[in-house]
Amino acid sequence: MVNIFVLIKQVPGTHNLEIDKKNGALIREGIETMINPDDLYALELGLKLKERYGGNTTALTMGPSQAEFALRECLAMGVDEAIHVCDQIFAYSDTLQTTLVLKEVFDKIKNYDLIITGSQTSDSSTGQVPYQLSEALDIPLITDIFSIELKNGFVQCQRNFGHESQNIQVELPIILRVRKHFNKPRPLSLLGIKKAFEKGIKKFDFNSLNCPDSIDGCNKSPTRVVKTEKISLQRKNEIIKGTITEKIQKIIEIIQEHGIEKIWVGGAHE
Amino acid sequence: MVITRKTKQDKKSLEIDYKSLSDKRKLDNNPILNFEPNEQLKLLRYGVRKFAEDVLLPVAPIVDRDATFNWETARHLAKINAWGIEVPEKYGGAQLDSISHAITIEELSRVCASTGLSVSAHNSLGVYPILRWGTDEQKERYLPALASGKMIAGFSMTEPNAGSDVKKINCLARQVGKGFLLNGSKIFVTNGGIASILIVISRYKTENGKKGMTAFILDNTMDGYEIGKLEDKMGMRGSSTTSIYFNDLFISQENVLGLISDGFKIAMNTLDVGRIGIAAQALGIARAAYEHSVEYSKRRIQFDKPIANFQGISFKLAEMATKIETARLLVYKAAHMRNQGRDISKEAAMCKYYSSQIARDITQEAIQVHGGYGYMKDLPLERYYRDAKACEIYEGTTEIMKMIISQQILRGNV
Ligand SMILES: Cc1cc2nc3c(=O)[nH]c(=O)nc-3n(C[C@H](O)[C@H](O)[C@H](O)COP(=O)(O)OP(=O)(O)OC[C@H]3O[C@@H](n4cnc5c(N)ncnc54)[C@H](O)[C@@H]3O)c2cc1C
Repeated sequence: MVNIFVLIKQVPGTHNLEIDKKNGALIREGIETMINPDDLYALELGLKLKERYGGNTTALTMGPSQAEFALRECLAMGVDEAIHVCDQIFAYSDTLQTTLVLKEVFDKIKNYDLIITGSQTSDSSTGQVPYQLSEALDIPLITDIFSIELKNGFVQCQRNFGHESQNIQVELPIILRVRKHFNKPRPLSLLGIKKAFEKGIKKFDFNSLNCPDSIDGCNKSPTRVVKTEKISLQRKNEIIKGTITEKIQKIIEIIQEHGIEKIWVGGAHE
Repeated sequence: MVITRKTKQDKKSLEIDYKSLSDKRKLDNNPILNFEPNEQLKLLRYGVRKFAEDVLLPVAPIVDRDATFNWETARHLAKINAWGIEVPEKYGGAQLDSISHAITIEELSRVCASTGLSVSAHNSLGVYPILRWGTDEQKERYLPALASGKMIAGFSMTEPNAGSDVKKINCLARQVGKGFLLNGSKIFVTNGGIASILIVISRYKTENGKKGMTAFILDNTMDGYEIGKLEDKMGMRGSSTTSIYFNDLFISQENVLGLISDGFKIAMNTLDVGRIGIAAQALGIARAAYEHSVEYSKRRIQFDKPIANFQGISFKLAEMATKIETARLLVYKAAHMRNQGRDISKEAAMCKYYSSQIARDITQEAIQVHGGYGYMKDLPLERYYRDAKACEIYEGTTEIMKMIISQQILRGNV
């Protein structure tokens, strides 16, 4: 029986986040949220593998209390269990701190065969956690697979690597980082949604995990977001008048003002 | 920002957190007015909306243009239990309550009103009467197929000469031995061309001369069941509306729904439930038109400003938003009362009349907000308008709703 864990993250459901003028952080309160889109593909793979090989699926997230909603969505999709890792002290964790907490969680769980993740989150786009977790747990990580089979404690998968396709066989447990469009996430059924609220969610916090003192999201994250700024791309219009040569001359001047030194006009080759 | 580390408490870490669950439940049952949907309803709205935007959005203009029911869509709907919203789990349904039912129809209709109509008519007019009045045997026979979408159901009462005045129906079932022979014709049957079974309201006459109105469950495979022409409609074109003819159709006792004399009561009760569905549908269409209007008016620049900056437009948005909010409260209240098993005829009529009227208003104003673009078929606004209009007519016209409401008021249900 394979014990499958899918790591998910709740992310803002919009790209138009406001920035807190005081501390430069994104304002996440009171906004719509969703499961990180990439993670839905990880969930779908977990569910498919369970359908094919049996076993147990668990969705796992570390996040604030409202992330429970994302776990309900996972339960509604059909995962068997959900784990919510939540503590004030985990807030503001960077990817390394997140990984260290996840390591504590998996050390506690002990019995895991497959940990599936999406490729990156839509709100921070680092894609680092699966790699770091592979180091922390000292288990192999396989990325970008396009087919997978489980056989007697082994995983056989095919993986795209540039222009080659690799056939890999590896012993469980492993981490799989899947790409978008590997499969299509199933929709939530009405019955699934109802059932999702009849299940409990396991909770872990700092104390229950017996976390070492090195875990402290706010103070011990090596990555510091100094400032978040909104950038807006604005196009300027300028109507250039004159003869064709004058126009070209003017355009060249404008381009050079932007620090571009060499310009070839008319497709001339040197 | 200061983070205080929690003191080490003796916590049973792996225990399931039932406490927060039950706290939430308590909040939901709070007797003080609570307008906040619970987490389950939020996830339901989110889930159905995502489904609708994924599956229905691409087909909505096509089923409207071609006036066809899309069976592929029907199969997708089956995967999310949309054909068995209230059907008990043991028959393969989702066994949800009336508010969840309304939200599901609202979200489907927001994207494709025709689909919303097919699903609503199936669930509240076709399936509901069997759930409520069916015998165990009838439930076993029909509910699993209905809940899984293998069979689609409909409800047929209207006749060429009996629309609002339903007591004037002419279809007649004469008792012959242990069954009935049914003759007559029905019109404007939603799901007529696709339904495997129909709840048919008819007159009956027993051998000893007793008369009245009855409800039958008819299979479209029965001898003497004939599907008439597909209506070419103004809106809701992706939903199949046909006439149905009965020629010496033999009906055995097993296909009588409820008591033989219960027909009128069954019809009226079923329509009460159906009206919440129609109101939810209208709400969904109104919502779509409103959302488009908000977005468009912020983007469309005239006289060097977004048109939303003109009071003439922004007040339209304010009116739309207020009407939608009002309609929503009426719909959810009626659904809530139904959950409690109370008589809903007044509230169902109110929400149906109000929601369909504001849906017509809002879809019309939404075209105005979009100007010429709104009038073109490239945008869905004109479809919303055509679709919304139907809600003022079927399952009792607005005038009939006002009759029901006023009768209730004058009877003392003020
Ligand atoms: C798309 C569509 C789908 C339908 N689906 C179904 C279905 O699945 N099953 C089914 O049985 N029927 C169905 N119908 C029929 C629908 O319920 C009737 O059309 C409706 O009840 C009105 O009846 P009528 O068309 O005969 O209009 P009439 O009853 O002739 O009404 C004409 C006008 O007179 C008004 N009027 C009538 N009586 C009064 C009164 N006493 N006081 C004031 N005004 C009055 C009406 O409000 C209306 O404005 C459907 C209709 C449509 C358009």
